[in-house]
Amino acid sequence: MNWGMAMADNETELDLLFAQARNDRASIPDALVVRMQTDAEAVRLARLAPSTVKRSRGLLRRLADGLGGWQGMGGLLAASVTGVWIGFAAPAFLPDPANYLMTQDTTYLVADLGLSFDYLEETE
Amino acid sequence: MEDLTPPEQNVRGNTVAADTLSDDALLRRFADGDAMASRLLTDRLAPRCYSVAFRMLSNRAEAEDVAQDAMMRLWQMAPSWEPGQAKVSTWLYRVTLNLCLDRKRKKKPDALSDVAEPEDDAASVVDRMQDDARKDALQVALSKLPDRQREAVILRHIEELSNPEIAGVMGISIEAVESLTARGKRALTAILAGRKDELGYGDG
Repeated sequence: MNWGMAMADNETELDLLFAQARNDRASIPDALVVRMQTDAEAVRLARLAPSTVKRSRGLLRRLADGLGGWQGMGGLLAASVTGVWIGFAAPAFLPDPANYLMTQDTTYLVADLGLSFDYLEETE
Repeated sequence: MEDLTPPEQNVRGNTVAADTLSDDALLRRFADGDAMASRLLTDRLAPRCYSVAFRMLSNRAEAEDVAQDAMMRLWQMAPSWEPGQAKVSTWLYRVTLNLCLDRKRKKKPDALSDVAEPEDDAASVVDRMQDDARKDALQVALSKLPDRQREAVILRHIEELSNPEIAGVMGISIEAVESLTARGKRALTAILAGRKDELGYGDG
């Protein structure tokens, strides 16, 4: 019986200790709460504006964005290459500037420039 | 802080209304960008999260790390939470306990969580305890229980969860919960009865 009473006492003590532990539950440190809420705010803001967090700030990237992104840049590049090709492989009925360059004859080049300026003046 | 609530609700009115919302609803509001929701969720859930971590780890600094990590996971999973599937608190308890076990395993890579020798494990845990924890007879006794018994006892007798909820947290049957809590409580009673004077002081 003594053993049983001792066990009962210990159970009572255990229950008291549990009650004490339940009361201790509210003792979370304030600084921890602040850190948790800072985390929450960071997650919330990152979710609200993911592009501002992730976007690269490179010069080339910004230039590409201004010209319509990488697709726009691709179109621009294709148009440029086409223009150069047309310039060098012109149809037969147009004067071929490649010939002027190949002959290295400055007279032709000056004459050609002169014609161009005349044309511009006529249109104005 | 940005306030994304509809214009007809001012901040004060929103606080009063949000205070009555379920954890589910608050988590949804947080995912939708409501800053107030995370404050209310922290108030409701964080103390218990920290308390459980401390009871499991017997170390305040580690408990703080685990509780912060568990809450971070809550914030991150908010958009994918499906209301009604489980209680948010159940999910958080489970994450917290798993993080505690991860920490304990990393410290003792060869320890087996469920069948570890309680005496050996307890000795090292007691060695690591801080002075404030040493003075806590319950904490010393808890640290001598196997992990699963300790989890069940903490959830039942300190967190006052129901047996079905503990079963949900631990991923076991209600009968298994009853068995673990009964064995854990018997072991604690025996520890307090037989070794009360030496616990935490005579190991060195």
